[in-house]
Amino acid sequence: MAARGRGQRTLSFTMETVKGDAPPPSVQQPTPVFPVMERKPLPLTGGEEAEYLLALKQDFRGAMRSLPCFIQPLVTHRDVERYSDKYNRSEQMDKLLDWAPDWKRFPRELRVHVRKPARDSVSAAVQSPPPQMKKKGVKDKEEVLLKLESLEKKEEQETSEDEEGETKKKQEEEEAEGEEEYDEEEFEEETDYIMSYFDNGEDFGGDSDDNMDEAIY
Amino acid sequence: MTAQEVRLCGLLLREHFGEVVEKVGTHLLKCGAQNLRTIIHETGLSVDLVKKSLCVLVQHGASTFSSGRKGPGSPTEYHASCDRILRILRYPRYIYTAKTLYGDTGELIIEELLQRGHTTMSSTVKTVADRLTQNMAEGLTMDYSEVSSTFSKLVETHFLQRCPPLPRVGNKDSSAPSETPAAPGTPAAPVNTAPPTPESFPECYKVPSVTLIGRGKRQLASEDGEEQRSAKRAKMDPETHGDEGIYWQVNFERFHLHFRDQTIISAVANKLDQTSSEIVRTMLRMSEVTTSPMATCTKPLSANEIFRSLPPSYNILRPILDQYLTLLVDDPMEFVGKAGESGGGMFVVNLHRALANLARATLESVVQERFGSRSARIFRLLLRKRHLEQKQVEDFAMIPAKEAKDMLYTLLSQNLVQLQEIPKTPDYAPSRTFYLYTVNQLPTARMLLQSCYKTVANLVERRLFETKESKRLLEKSQRIEAILASLQVSGAEPEQLTEVEEMITAPEKQQLDTLRLHINKLDSAENQVDETIFLLESYINSTNASS
Repeated sequence: MAARGRGQRTLSFTMETVKGDAPPPSVQQPTPVFPVMERKPLPLTGGEEAEYLLALKQDFRGAMRSLPCFIQPLVTHRDVERYSDKYNRSEQMDKLLDWAPDWKRFPRELRVHVRKPARDSVSAAVQSPPPQMKKKGVKDKEEVLLKLESLEKKEEQETSEDEEGETKKKQEEEEAEGEEEYDEEEFEEETDYIMSYFDNGEDFGGDSDDNMDEAIY
Repeated sequence: MTAQEVRLCGLLLREHFGEVVEKVGTHLLKCGAQNLRTIIHETGLSVDLVKKSLCVLVQHGASTFSSGRKGPGSPTEYHASCDRILRILRYPRYIYTAKTLYGDTGELIIEELLQRGHTTMSSTVKTVADRLTQNMAEGLTMDYSEVSSTFSKLVETHFLQRCPPLPRVGNKDSSAPSETPAAPGTPAAPVNTAPPTPESFPECYKVPSVTLIGRGKRQLASEDGEEQRSAKRAKMDPETHGDEGIYWQVNFERFHLHFRDQTIISAVANKLDQTSSEIVRTMLRMSEVTTSPMATCTKPLSANEIFRSLPPSYNILRPILDQYLTLLVDDPMEFVGKAGESGGGMFVVNLHRALANLARATLESVVQERFGSRSARIFRLLLRKRHLEQKQVEDFAMIPAKEAKDMLYTLLSQNLVQLQEIPKTPDYAPSRTFYLYTVNQLPTARMLLQSCYKTVANLVERRLFETKESKRLLEKSQRIEAILASLQVSGAEPEQLTEVEEMITAPEKQQLDTLRLHINKLDSAENQVDETIFLLESYINSTNASS
């Protein structure tokens, strides 16, 4: 090592000054990403406690995924675009609204407002209403049919905030939300079929029946 | 907030709350306090998603909000807290500690609170009772009162605390909001720079008088439809139990104190013997309530008191106790110190010094495992002797000059050892300057802590990568397990079961086993690195407190 140092004299004067041989050559490039390890690391401590902690950790992670606070983005990239995609989107939106925290503990601006489609109190200060909004009348019937089950739940979350004075910005925000909502409802009503009855046949074959008494044809 | 910490926080948020919350959280961490509009604009996510993510973050205590910097009228600002997100790594340890102290009930209460963030006592008690009932034998149910009593015990020992009531912030709503009675009045919402700690409120540890009468409900697996309907009905009629608006959270600091005590006790057990560790455990137990969290050492305890409080099963005689105490005081690790002679000798447990020594031992062990025992010898020498010239290092460490030089240069290049120049002349001429090697424990500990964060982040990323690689295989195995489970429930014949099992081929099974092994190893490694993180963080925080 010392002989190599003497052969290749390089910089780093502080080392030079330490009396003796020249220092090791300075490195001219970044260190490798996976450097060779001269010594193997110690094995992990096993034991009952470590295994229990491991199980707790994995259970916790799994449990968090099923809670409403685990937010999945609305976009599901499937390998093939399917017809059922635009109908499945509304179900995901429902999951978002599943969790109702105590709104008193949050600033007002964080409240996600849910709109009933039959609202006519949408304020007049709207830019250019998209053409789909004309079909508002037909929507009511379909909405009631589609959202029968979750309607009671959503009623709790409704507020009558339109009557209170708000800044224009907030209003624009809400308009954007309203338009988003209307867009989705728009898609839903293009069909006469009830959303929950729709089955795109993907689960066929993968499911196992509870009762094996009946033969499967 | 270093880059490594932000990266690790992002990964933890992604695993536990999803990618949307990760995006919002890392943005807040990197950019400091921001208001809602800026967050929406800069992350590019939709308004609803950002609002929802902020709700999730606030609910779990990872983010706080306050009125804007410009005064009461400006929009609310959100800050994310890096430390709080890093605590997620330690959740399994908290749950396990609760189990050892308060049994399964305590374990489930803590787990429930960690999953939900802030909840009321009544909802927690109900959920935990239901979960316990699920696991109990057929026909037995768990009474709410048992769970409530465990909850109260947790609050009494300060493991749980109330969430601080919030000052009304940036509200356009003119009607006075109803606050919990314990809230201090802040009508004008002045801009306060430091958020109040939960402990600054007087009712922090007061259990509310809750009327909770009932037993856990067992969910019957066969009636899925009814279950959903009854669950919905439960949401419909909110039963008031007298504790609306009072939310509880886990008190991490108290758990950390407990961990610190446990570490000291096990260190004593490893270094000396079981009896001495029992003595130290007794001393710590006696000082639990009298010692403040930031105290340097416990209040002095006389040997007589210690003798009286020792567990009777140990049968330690008085003179033996005195000998043990002398041994503990003389030990170089300085866990126990003598503070006086009255009452047979007054003894204290030196908390900060114990932490410093434990951190030092960690550093030494890291050097030993990475560079060998001789480098470790040099490192320990420098820690003890502070500043040494190269010649002195060679002499004291009894290592030949060339090897000592190599080792010193390696340690220097890894920044574990620093060089201090002491000039003899003002012009810093190399031949007329002393060059001394030195080790500074605190900066080295900080550096090691950062590399621990980096390690855990790498472990998490590797685990995510492995899972992603074998995603299809995992999904297939999950489907087959589901089929098997339902077949077994409906009582199918063994041939059908084997047929389904054979849908996974042998090499695939092997692949799955290796994958499972790797993931378990990576998870276990994360837990272990977190123990080191805890020790180093405690040491660094203790030096902050005393300085």
